[in-house]
Amino acid sequence: MESMTPISCPTTPRWNQDRPFLTGRFHQETRASSKFADSKRFTLDSSSSGVEQAIGCYDTPVQELIVIDDLLSALVGIEGRYISIKRFHGKEDSIAFQVDPSMDLALQELAKRIFPLCEYYLLIDQFVESSSQFKNGLVNHAFAAALRALLLDYQAMVAQLEHQFRLGRLSIQGLWFYCQPMMGSMRALAAVIQQASTKQFVGSGVLNLLQSQAKAMAGDNSVRSLLEKMTECASNAYLSILERWVYEGIIDDPYGEFFIAENRSLKKESLSQDSTAKYWSQRYSLKDTIPGFLANIAATILTTGKYLNVMRECGHNVQVPISERSKLTIFGSNHHYLECIKAAHEFASIELVNLIKDKYDLVGRLRSIKHYLLLDQGDFLVHFMDIAREELNKKVHEISVEKLQSLLDLALRTTAAAADPRHEDLTCCVDRASLLTTLGMHKDTDSNSIEDPMSITGLETFSLSYKVQWPLSIVISKKALSKYQLIFRFLFHCKHVERQLCGAWQIHQGIRSMNSKGTAILRSSLLCRSMLKFISSLLHYLTFEVLEPNWHVMHDRLQSTRSVDEVIQHHDFFLDKCLRGCLLLLPDVLKKMEKLKSVCLQYAAATQWLISSSIDINSQSHPQKTMIRDTTVTESIFNFEREFNSELQSLGPVLSKGSQAEPYLTHLSQWILGVSKE
Amino acid sequence: MEDDDQQKAADLVQELVLRLVSQNPQTPNLDPNSPAFLKTLRYAFRILSSRLTPSVLPDATAIAESLKRRLATQGKSSDALAFADLYTKFASKTGPGSVNNKWALVYLLKIVSDDRKSAINGLDSSVLLPNLGIGDTGNGVLSRGEAKKKDWSNGVLLVSKDPENLRDIAFREYAILVKEENEVTEEVLVRDVLYASQGIDGKYVKFNSEIDGYAVQESVKVPRATRIMVRMLSELGWLFRKVKTFITESMDRFPAEDVGTVGQAFCAALQDELSDYYKLLAVLEAQAMNPIPLVSESASSNNYLSLRRLSVWFAEPMVKMRLMAVLVDKCKVLRGGAMAGAIHLHAQHGDPLVHDFMMSLLRCVCSPLFEMVRSWVLEGELEDTFGEFFVVGQPVKVDLLWREGYKLHPAMLPSFISPSLAQRILRTGKSINFLRVCCDDHGWADAASEAAAASGTTTRRGGLGYGETDALEHLVTEAAKRIDKHLLDVLYKRYKFKEHCLAIKRYLLLGQGDFVQYLMDIVGPKLSEPANNISSFELAGFLEAAIRASNAQYDDRDMLDRLRVKMMPHGSGDRGWDVFSLEYEARVPLDTVFTESVLSKYLRVFNFLWKLKRVEHALIGIWKTMKPNCITSNSFVKLQSSVKLQLLSALRRCQVLWNEMNHFVTNFQYYIMFEVLEVSWSNFSKEMEAAKDLDDLLAAHEKYLNAIVGKSLLGEQSQTIRESLFVLFELILRFRSHADRLYEGIHELQIRSKESGREKNKSQEPGSWISEGRKGLTQRAGEFLQSMSQDMDSIAKEYTSSLDGFLSLLPLQQSVDLKFLFFRLDFTEFYSRLHSKG
Repeated sequence: MESMTPISCPTTPRWNQDRPFLTGRFHQETRASSKFADSKRFTLDSSSSGVEQAIGCYDTPVQELIVIDDLLSALVGIEGRYISIKRFHGKEDSIAFQVDPSMDLALQELAKRIFPLCEYYLLIDQFVESSSQFKNGLVNHAFAAALRALLLDYQAMVAQLEHQFRLGRLSIQGLWFYCQPMMGSMRALAAVIQQASTKQFVGSGVLNLLQSQAKAMAGDNSVRSLLEKMTECASNAYLSILERWVYEGIIDDPYGEFFIAENRSLKKESLSQDSTAKYWSQRYSLKDTIPGFLANIAATILTTGKYLNVMRECGHNVQVPISERSKLTIFGSNHHYLECIKAAHEFASIELVNLIKDKYDLVGRLRSIKHYLLLDQGDFLVHFMDIAREELNKKVHEISVEKLQSLLDLALRTTAAAADPRHEDLTCCVDRASLLTTLGMHKDTDSNSIEDPMSITGLETFSLSYKVQWPLSIVISKKALSKYQLIFRFLFHCKHVERQLCGAWQIHQGIRSMNSKGTAILRSSLLCRSMLKFISSLLHYLTFEVLEPNWHVMHDRLQSTRSVDEVIQHHDFFLDKCLRGCLLLLPDVLKKMEKLKSVCLQYAAATQWLISSSIDINSQSHPQKTMIRDTTVTESIFNFEREFNSELQSLGPVLSKGSQAEPYLTHLSQWILGVSKE
Repeated sequence: MEDDDQQKAADLVQELVLRLVSQNPQTPNLDPNSPAFLKTLRYAFRILSSRLTPSVLPDATAIAESLKRRLATQGKSSDALAFADLYTKFASKTGPGSVNNKWALVYLLKIVSDDRKSAINGLDSSVLLPNLGIGDTGNGVLSRGEAKKKDWSNGVLLVSKDPENLRDIAFREYAILVKEENEVTEEVLVRDVLYASQGIDGKYVKFNSEIDGYAVQESVKVPRATRIMVRMLSELGWLFRKVKTFITESMDRFPAEDVGTVGQAFCAALQDELSDYYKLLAVLEAQAMNPIPLVSESASSNNYLSLRRLSVWFAEPMVKMRLMAVLVDKCKVLRGGAMAGAIHLHAQHGDPLVHDFMMSLLRCVCSPLFEMVRSWVLEGELEDTFGEFFVVGQPVKVDLLWREGYKLHPAMLPSFISPSLAQRILRTGKSINFLRVCCDDHGWADAASEAAAASGTTTRRGGLGYGETDALEHLVTEAAKRIDKHLLDVLYKRYKFKEHCLAIKRYLLLGQGDFVQYLMDIVGPKLSEPANNISSFELAGFLEAAIRASNAQYDDRDMLDRLRVKMMPHGSGDRGWDVFSLEYEARVPLDTVFTESVLSKYLRVFNFLWKLKRVEHALIGIWKTMKPNCITSNSFVKLQSSVKLQLLSALRRCQVLWNEMNHFVTNFQYYIMFEVLEVSWSNFSKEMEAAKDLDDLLAAHEKYLNAIVGKSLLGEQSQTIRESLFVLFELILRFRSHADRLYEGIHELQIRSKESGREKNKSQEPGSWISEGRKGLTQRAGEFLQSMSQDMDSIAKEYTSSLDGFLSLLPLQQSVDLKFLFFRLDFTEFYSRLHSKG
């Protein structure tokens, strides 16, 4: 696992690591190749040569006393007269204790039994020295402190043994007996330390290692309690970081050990531009290293701090109320952690939801968006379509967005929308592609129909946009707005078709008084009525069967929701359901609808000419010419009628097939095809 | 003689050994010549010839006292008295027949007594196994048989005695060995280590510059383990020397600038830690006075100090001293806030001991800094004698006090104070100084007291400390909130900042329409003259007249007094229109907002607006000139048709061109006065209401002024389009002069036409003269109209071209408002269509 070293990690002077007798590395000092070190080794060797005779020349009882004294030194990592330390330089620098060969064999064996304890001491002492350096993180610091306290007890024990020895009450067998309690503890700790050193564990890695070792050694009661004690000390530093995050939403993590990563490059303003809403999901995220005892609630911890952080970004400084009982650093069972964290999570969640609802009026914003982008109060749109007709009929690249914006402002100020203080956040935008192409891009599917860009006008690409500020941009993000815009574009185009058909209908009404018996006008009038029926049914379905019920469901759910993620979830669910209900995620049905609308538009555009031709036909006195023209007009109307009806008939099976998976299509089928079935 | 003495001594020793060995029931009849006996005899000789000396003073009286005290403490008072009496008699004997070496004899008795006591204790130990004995060698079957027989008969005594003796002998031999290999006793070494740990050379442990540390001298004979342990323990002394040297060197320079109050606090904190250290050393020194027991000498002595015990005692001081030494190295070249920040970095440690130690240290070190923050935030005082604070003051003029008087010193900012908090601290103190120096206000003291009360601290010293960053932040927040609010209150109410801004908007930005109109009417003719002929006093009089003639007269007299006429530097070729300007005098403290650069921007905007107003004024003048002539067109009926058509064409052309120019100027002026000035003013008003501090106010005003400059095409990036605009203005002014000449000529023609009518009566007599007069009039009229038409065409062409250039540049501007201006000017797309045709 990688350990991130922040730049702020303080450095210490070189002597803090170079002085051998300060760091306890004087054993390796004599191996250095410098001349000075050689001189020092000579000094040490001369010290060693101070021993005048081999231990073998003494009587066994005297040898025992000498060995005990040497062992008391070896237990704290110091070479004695006849016990020395040998260093092996290989893949890992390791240390072994050796005895003088002339020593009594029984004494040699007794001494060698104690050597592992001496090696454990050296290993732990070196680990404490290296782990206490700043860059290793707070958890390693705390762990090293706990180990140092243990070593201090160990040294006190050695001093006590020395006292017994001075009183003449210590034999080598007694020494072995007194070392037994320490032996198991030191062995277990040495195993932990070897793993921690080899794998360069920091932070939660250390905590997890300690916990796993405590479980593995559960049979040995004293070792387990020792490791639990170590875990408690080491985790206190970690729990302080956790406490700050869970109660204040701040990551106070100077060495990058905490399991939550912060991506500072993601700003909250990006929610208004980024289509994938990265800020909410990636500004704070979980790392791979999570302490075992927090793994189950890691997600809860993440969201708690996120909520608090959101409130902080709003200038709303809130802090989870902390009582003495809710201190995380008061060691308890995992249950205690769970209780505290869940309480903090609930507090932060409710507080943030209240902030978004009350101060920032989320529901009001959603209602306003409903007015404009979902055409809840569409009177401004009628006015806008009137005054902007000429501009919207232009090609996409010829449209002046500023002019449209100005016309939109004019429409908003002269209709009921003027009463809404939020109408100033409404803006225009013109896309470059048609709705089908945009949806195709959204779905990453190949678009079979290659559209001619020149044929696209503003009526197909016009859309409204809405400026949303932080923190509502968490919910109404760029991605959500793009979904609103898709629905708007579909509704807008339907409105356009309806207006065109209404114009055609008005033309028919104008000539009703004329004697049109026997001409194609009657059929044209019926066809116009059928088309109006179709588009009105479609619009009614979209607004009253899809948008309005889903919005009210969302509104009711938002009243009782208790977390921002729930708010986001309900809102996204609402949008996705509207998209599906509006046929925007069903390409087959949508293509049928677009085809039908296209036929309607062609018919409406042709109505003027058809009616004029029909009138001319009536006023002509030449039967031959009249007959030829009448045929042409009749054929045109028949073609439109045939095309429309055939498309409408083919819509039935598509809707029936789709209604297996989407029950709401049954409603659409009834609305649109009911009359046809009659 | 000497040889005889030695022989006697040898004989005596032999006899003694023989007697001692004979007491052993195992070997009652040991032959003096046997190897076993000789071995024992050699052992005795080695002991006697040993150079080992006891570790006690050779004072018989002291030993006697020791023995007596021990007897007394053991409850044997009668024995103690008996011993005292016997010792007195023994000591008083002198002369021949008395013992020469009295102390040695007394010491011998003491040792024997201890040995016997140990033997008695040994009997209680049942773990000792029976030793098979010494006399197994060389005696053959017979000797072994005898031994077996005696063992059987004396089993209990044999088993209980031999192991104890062997162990006792081993311990004594070990003690001898220890004394042999240790030239110095452990007590002496312990004391030397205690000296070394204070940076003092001891008797045998001295500082060795070669190894840069304290060590036992190489000439002294000690075991390797002892030497290593001494070196390890003496590292504390090396660390101590480093810390002590730093303190001493710093204290020598204490009043000096390069140490500072933070450095002083650091030294004081280190000194406190050393005091605790000295206390520990004193305790250890007392313990070191107790003798170290060796092999059962004194079982009751438990309060001694050995090297191993010393290592336990030194563990925690070692950690702290090491930290202090590291910090000392780090802070050697640092001062003030930088020093505090560096120490704070080292406080981020997970070890509770390290953490608590560093917190305690930092609480002392940061005390001066926090005091400076408190003093600055609540009193606006920079108590920074040595330049350690992260707020730096510098001498500036009063109007620049806010902008440049105080700045942050980033190097002195501790890392535990965030940049945003530092900014707030800076601004709060600036506000107090601004109120005191520029506003002549003393109400900030009440605000500071309220802030201190609200944040739970006090305006007295010592209220804040390290580790209470939340409390500091709270204090700064409360102080900033209250003092900033007070500052804005003073500016708004007492110094009428908003009203002055409004006055500037009215007069410098020409918002007061009637005033501007009247001013232009009365100074217009004068400004048409060369600038050198115009007197500032005369213009000032006109300004005063304009004020009194319009609604401006009801404005505050203080504001009207600040309004002045300003003639910009001019040369001989300039006209009054080009150099005329109004200026507004800003006094303390408003000159903090209205600096010279700000006022020069206002001047630039005024000049631009003045040009625009002049152009509009010219167009209105043209309109007034054109209007009456429509009614009198009938008077030209007597002219010929061709001339009449020419006249109508010229008039129509003039009207059309006027219409185009008026459309442009009207829309452009609307854009400037409403879309730019009024919208910017509205935003500025809102931001003034929302402003929380003077920086907000300055930012809002700067934004307001920059918005006006930018949207009015007065910024650097608008130079091209601005030049195009000024060309249009110039053309409109030329058009006015031409129109004036046209209508002047027409008027003259009108008069001449009437005269021509009268002359007709006179010329009835000579018929040819009448005809010649009318022809001449017609000819001159035709020529005049043709000339005017050509001039009009030329101006119209230039105007159309310039306007087209101007309009083509508008959509390229970055401001959306300018695009709206384009949309408004070309609402009917007339110019776009024209452009397409072209």
